Amino acid sequence: MDPWKLPISSAIQRKRLLSQSYTSHASASPSDLACADRASDVIYLLLIEPQVITSKFSVFSFLFVIGAQNAWDILLEEESMTRITTSCAELDKILGGGISCKEVTEIGGVPGIGKTQLGIQLAVNVQIPCYYGGLGGKAIYIDTEGSFMVERVLQIAEACTEDMAEYGRFLGKSIQARQVEMGPKDFLENIYYFRVCSYTEQIGLENYLDKFISEHRDVKIIVIDSVAFQFRQDFDDLAQRTRVLSAMALKLMKLAKKFSLAVVLLNQVTTKVIEGSFQLALALGDSWSHSCTNRLILYWNGDERYAYIDKSPSLRSASAPYSVTSRGIRNSSSNS
Amino acid sequence: MTALKSLEQEFPLLDINFQSFCASHSILTIADFLTHDLHSLAAAAESQPASLRLKEGISQVLSIVDTLHQPWLDGLELLQDAMDNKRVLSTGIAAVDSFLHGGLRVGQLTELAGPSSSGKTQLCLRLASSVAKMDRGSVVYVDTGNSFSSRRIHHFLCENGGPPSKQDDTGIVQRVMSRILRHSVFDINLLFNVLHQLEFILGSQECMEGCKVQLLIVDSVSSLITPILGGGSSQGYSLMASLGVLLKKLAHEHDIAILVTNHMVGGERGNPKPALGESWKSIPHVRLLLSCDYETNTCNISTLKHPSLAAGRSASFVID
Repeated sequence: MDPWKLPISSAIQRKRLLSQSYTSHASASPSDLACADRASDVIYLLLIEPQVITSKFSVFSFLFVIGAQNAWDILLEEESMTRITTSCAELDKILGGGISCKEVTEIGGVPGIGKTQLGIQLAVNVQIPCYYGGLGGKAIYIDTEGSFMVERVLQIAEACTEDMAEYGRFLGKSIQARQVEMGPKDFLENIYYFRVCSYTEQIGLENYLDKFISEHRDVKIIVIDSVAFQFRQDFDDLAQRTRVLSAMALKLMKLAKKFSLAVVLLNQVTTKVIEGSFQLALALGDSWSHSCTNRLILYWNGDERYAYIDKSPSLRSASAPYSVTSRGIRNSSSNS
Repeated sequence: MTALKSLEQEFPLLDINFQSFCASHSILTIADFLTHDLHSLAAAAESQPASLRLKEGISQVLSIVDTLHQPWLDGLELLQDAMDNKRVLSTGIAAVDSFLHGGLRVGQLTELAGPSSSGKTQLCLRLASSVAKMDRGSVVYVDTGNSFSSRRIHHFLCENGGPPSKQDDTGIVQRVMSRILRHSVFDINLLFNVLHQLEFILGSQECMEGCKVQLLIVDSVSSLITPILGGGSSQGYSLMASLGVLLKKLAHEHDIAILVTNHMVGGERGNPKPALGESWKSIPHVRLLLSCDYETNTCNISTLKHPSLAAGRSASFVID
């Protein structure tokens, strides 16, 4: 049965089928259809000749075609995925290697704990080339508070370059000879910086990111610092705020999955009154707490900075100390 | 809904004359026909020139409608269906199974509500691995928050016998894990698409043996519905209601157990309550509440609503 004999109503649809080279049903094998650019094309085929298609398909083939994966394939993919290191070995250990791509990670903490520092460190570390075990990608930094200090980024990038050179010396000269070394200025060049001044700008930017990242495919991390700032003022209607935030969360999840990048959201804290006592909680409310895949809480324990995994589908709850040095985020200096 | 025009080929009684008579009463589809007052329509037909033919047309449409309703089932047939098809799916955790008198029932929509990081996703993953192991059908996991962890599924499958050392064991784990399908959905309309196509595939006659779906998990349905709820228009509520209808129809007609997760919002006097509001409360058959005590790492599950168990009971368990 050829496509041009099928009872398709419009000529445009017929042309679309032919353009996908479905000259006969015999050629529309599951693997061909899996390469179809649009799921709507496949669903269209299913609607025209259901008895032919379903005899070749099971639920699996159909769901594969519209983008599902089975658990075994996902496992193999996850095991081969590189994570973004935080430059602190303890923190990397509790994170299972670092911040993982395809997930939205929320990092929250009191002011001064080092959220922006961690965000900048991740934006630099994502650029570590593949031959040093990094992702070799670029970063998008969305600044809502104005806390991005370029001089600090340069400082951290210089420290990263020195660490990479030391690692290269450790591995031997063979790597250095073949590859071009990255300097601190190259690190700065690979960070795309956006400054937003209102929540409408923030939402507009998130809508634009899809197009931007399609054109800049090597972006591997989006850092939003901080996601709460613009939404905590000027919002009279809290119900509308919840709707807007949950729509934003879905868009970020979709970006993370579609382009296989990591999304890191830095969040502020607020006080919550529970049974008469004050407690610190992350800003933006209860419904926002479900909008991330992983959550990391940064807190003070005496004089030390600690990070605690509050929410994760695959990591155990654990704490790790870290410190903020002139070279960036590093291991805690005290040994306990 | 079917337009009256399209029935002309099969039923020549519903000719152009009948259609224009109906159109003059603004009846264009079968739905319009059913909502119109049939006595007044018959009375209007009396005054028309070809009144007998028109009245025959009206009774023809009514007889078409008669053939379209769902078949009647008596109590005995329902019991037989319940015993044969509507099994109970074990969650893999003994405490939860005994709390739910066996586990999740096929044919029912179960809701799992709880605050953030209380163990909802972990329970879903545990259930998925337990059902996939039973090898009676596949598991479809709709993930809206990128929280499907295949590593945890692997851990749950391997924990009884230790890590697979032999070649056979890895093959078995691979076969079981390939029965779990994860689909990432970030839009309510896409979810409707997936569910409609699933309904179409499962309902088609030529569905192959590998077609059987035992369990459908939507984690989480609240993140898809919250952006469209409220805001003055009632479109969000109607979408939520039609989602509920579609899920329950899939569950009953195709013998699937469906589990959806919901998050919590602040309620009266600061007590948290499940999200999605009052209209959602009547949609799931079973509503469970999950909470987690972080110090002891135990989770607590309680019933808010259950068709056959008393509400207000609770049980504790640990997911390792």
